[in-house]
Amino acid sequence: MVSCKIVNALYAAVPSRVFRDYLIRTHLEKCDGCQARYISRSEAEALFIKPGNANPASGLWEKIECQIGQEAAVPEQRLTGLRWEWAVGAVTFLVLAAASFWLLRGVQTKAVRADYIWPAGHFGINYINVGGAPAQAFVYQPKGADIIIVWAEKKS
Amino acid sequence: MDEQGIIKRCLKGETGEFRQIVNQYTPPLMAVAMTVLGNRQDAEDICQETFIQAYRHLSSFDTEKSLRTWLYTILYRRCLNAAKRKKIFSGILNRLKTEPQTWTPTSDPGPEEQLFLPPGLYRTLSPKERTVLSLWANDGYTAHDISEVVGCSASTVRVTLFNARRKIKAFLENKHGVMQNC
Repeated sequence: MVSCKIVNALYAAVPSRVFRDYLIRTHLEKCDGCQARYISRSEAEALFIKPGNANPASGLWEKIECQIGQEAAVPEQRLTGLRWEWAVGAVTFLVLAAASFWLLRGVQTKAVRADYIWPAGHFGINYINVGGAPAQAFVYQPKGADIIIVWAEKKS
Repeated sequence: MDEQGIIKRCLKGETGEFRQIVNQYTPPLMAVAMTVLGNRQDAEDICQETFIQAYRHLSSFDTEKSLRTWLYTILYRRCLNAAKRKKIFSGILNRLKTEPQTWTPTSDPGPEEQLFLPPGLYRTLSPKERTVLSLWANDGYTAHDISEVVGCSASTVRVTLFNARRKIKAFLENKHGVMQNC
């Protein structure tokens, strides 16, 4: 038929999935003449191996059972292991956090008062007023850095 | 007992119940795996891996859906991976071989490489096409069902299926014609 020839020519010429699907649904699936160019379900069924002839060698279930039996025991251990790992991690973090906090406090207490370091010709503070009254001042100079930090607080 | 009941009991830890699922679905899964891989031993290995993976992820299975389709989906992905591995491995082996190899499609494959389709079809059809055809022919799956297994749209499956059907028809006609000429 002319329409079949046109459809088949279009199918071959236009490699668009959507267009080909349209041609299949509208013509190729319904046309007996075109269906003759394709293998039928019964022919394909005869060609392919059938489930009835595809039995595996014995022992497939035993292998599967062995594997899943092992895995059934493992998750509990794995979970316990994970809990321990989390606990150790959390404790380590807390210890490190406490140690860091303590060390930083130590640095603050070791800070030298401003009036104790007066590197002549470099840096000096006579006094600092906070709120109109002399304040307590601390000077920090990190090692190897070119910055000086001055901390002033109101005397209590 | 119905499948949902079996699955519930499996999830409670009764691994023995899973045997019913294995016994029921091994033949169809084996048929597809053998069609895709062309080797019984590989197919058995893939089936075993499929069931183990299914058991591991049984809790994520939607019981409203078809268990058979879900198992086919797992099997298909594993078959594709196995086919890729096999292709890479055989490519390496071919490079290592120094003697030229001749291969005749009509030669009888040994027990190690037992083919379940005419040898020419393994070269003609891709693993995806073989899967689609096997599901369509053996299980009566529609394009929509197959699309769930292979993970693409129904229209893509329809086109793939038609192309594969045409390739087989042409192959068989060609083969038959050659035989007649002989």
